[in-house]
Amino acid sequence: MLDAGLCNYVVISYGHNAFSSDSMMKMLMDFGGDDGVFGQFGAASGYAMAARRAMHTFHTGPETWKHIAVGERKWANLNPRAMMYKRKMTFEDYYNSRPLVEPFRLYDNCLMTDGGRAIVITTEERARDLKHRPAVIMGMGQHNTATAVNYSTHLAGPTGAKKSGEMALSMAEITLDDIDACEIYDCFTYTVEINLQSYGFFGPGEGEDWLKGGTIEPGGRMPLNTSGGQLSEAYFMGLTSLSEAAMQLMGRCGDRQLGPETNTKAPEIILCSDSGGVSRCHSSFILRRG
Amino acid sequence: MEYNKPLPKLNADSKPFWSGCREHELRFQKCNKCGLIRWPPSIICPKCHSRDVQWIVASGRGKVYSFVVYHIAYQPAFKDDLPYTVAIVELEEGPHLLTNIVNCSPDDVSCDMPVKVMWDDVTEEFSLPKFEPA
Amino acid sequence: MSLKDKYAIAGIGYTDQGKVPDRTALSFHLEACANAIEDAGLEKEDIDGLICYRHFPAASNENDLTSYEVAQYLGLTPSYLSQDAN
Repeated sequence: MLDAGLCNYVVISYGHNAFSSDSMMKMLMDFGGDDGVFGQFGAASGYAMAARRAMHTFHTGPETWKHIAVGERKWANLNPRAMMYKRKMTFEDYYNSRPLVEPFRLYDNCLMTDGGRAIVITTEERARDLKHRPAVIMGMGQHNTATAVNYSTHLAGPTGAKKSGEMALSMAEITLDDIDACEIYDCFTYTVEINLQSYGFFGPGEGEDWLKGGTIEPGGRMPLNTSGGQLSEAYFMGLTSLSEAAMQLMGRCGDRQLGPETNTKAPEIILCSDSGGVSRCHSSFILRRG
Repeated sequence: MEYNKPLPKLNADSKPFWSGCREHELRFQKCNKCGLIRWPPSIICPKCHSRDVQWIVASGRGKVYSFVVYHIAYQPAFKDDLPYTVAIVELEEGPHLLTNIVNCSPDDVSCDMPVKVMWDDVTEEFSLPKFEPA
Repeated sequence: MSLKDKYAIAGIGYTDQGKVPDRTALSFHLEACANAIEDAGLEKEDIDGLICYRHFPAASNENDLTSYEVAQYLGLTPSYLSQDAN
């Protein structure tokens, strides 16, 4: 719309009272049409189904996902806004959390949040005249595999991250090696793994090796979901990741700021993703410091 | 006792399948042009867009493509079933069907495990296709 | 035509978050939007596009929330309005 000249300043918004209202229970009951006939409810069920097939296809499982849950929690512990700011998590805590829909445990699931988040998008030229140093969109891509989990014959991936990532990188004229940090949609721990794998950060089954040793944590070589993400900060769909990437590139993140504060590289380029409909749609955005 | 779990939505697309189930037959659409056996039912073939279709009866044999185990009853009617297994079964004929694995402990279910259909006659109108180890 | 480097995020709006009882979903949209506009250093009159995210079902005691509502309660009459973001 900006490109067509129809608009100059666009606001993108998300808001919900998921924690305190009955909305999410309604969602659980409605989700997936006839799935409830067989006792299949909610989004966890679809992702858990995909994760189980992945466990059968390549090396993955709780030993991989614990690095994502604990890594994001360490970022949340630096973010006073995060729902889990004051709650530390160890690998043992992760393993001790109760199973809900196996193979997922409680700590594989994202949070339910009361709250909202919004961003303003405008042209790079107009943004330069505004208050903050802008976060410039270098590239974007979308891909919709469309087919639902129940009918998919490629449940172990790759997800739409593969094609949408290629599209975004090509538009930005960079490669994955140029990415300094990631803000990845994380409705579940496994969602992060399969999308990083689909982007090409590692090969199928290499996630545990890639993640271990604090890769995504403060001080790590690929900081990921630096607000705590939806697992440990708050759930605002794609805006948890986009807003955090923009704040990091603007240098407004306080104790969790990428750079010397967290013993990480000061970020020039951040990859963001959003996905929905249980891996039926996927968006990739590459932002750079303005 | 009254059946208090959700029942399938009957509409013009889904009715032939559920009518088949009532007669303990798994009926799927087969495209007369390209031969694709498709699920869920639709007026158009997703592969070749042909509208020319026949219904075939599947063997009821397949294997577990993936499965999850519920330790929480999002709907109270499922509480007594905990822990229960929801699976996607890949039928010999191709379609992937969401179902339950029954007569088998969740601990003993695995991907690619051979299974066969069994019928759960839940109401006068509906029989649900569920699967057990073959 | 490539969109590379042509557009940018210029403002971010936060709200209270976590467990915040007795608030409607609409109220969070409105607070986040107003804060984002202010954060960018803009006036509401500058805003000519509004996109609201796809959403979960409304709570039993609330109406379904559309972009129309959000625009109305913010006093916006944007050229572009949609409920489509992903």
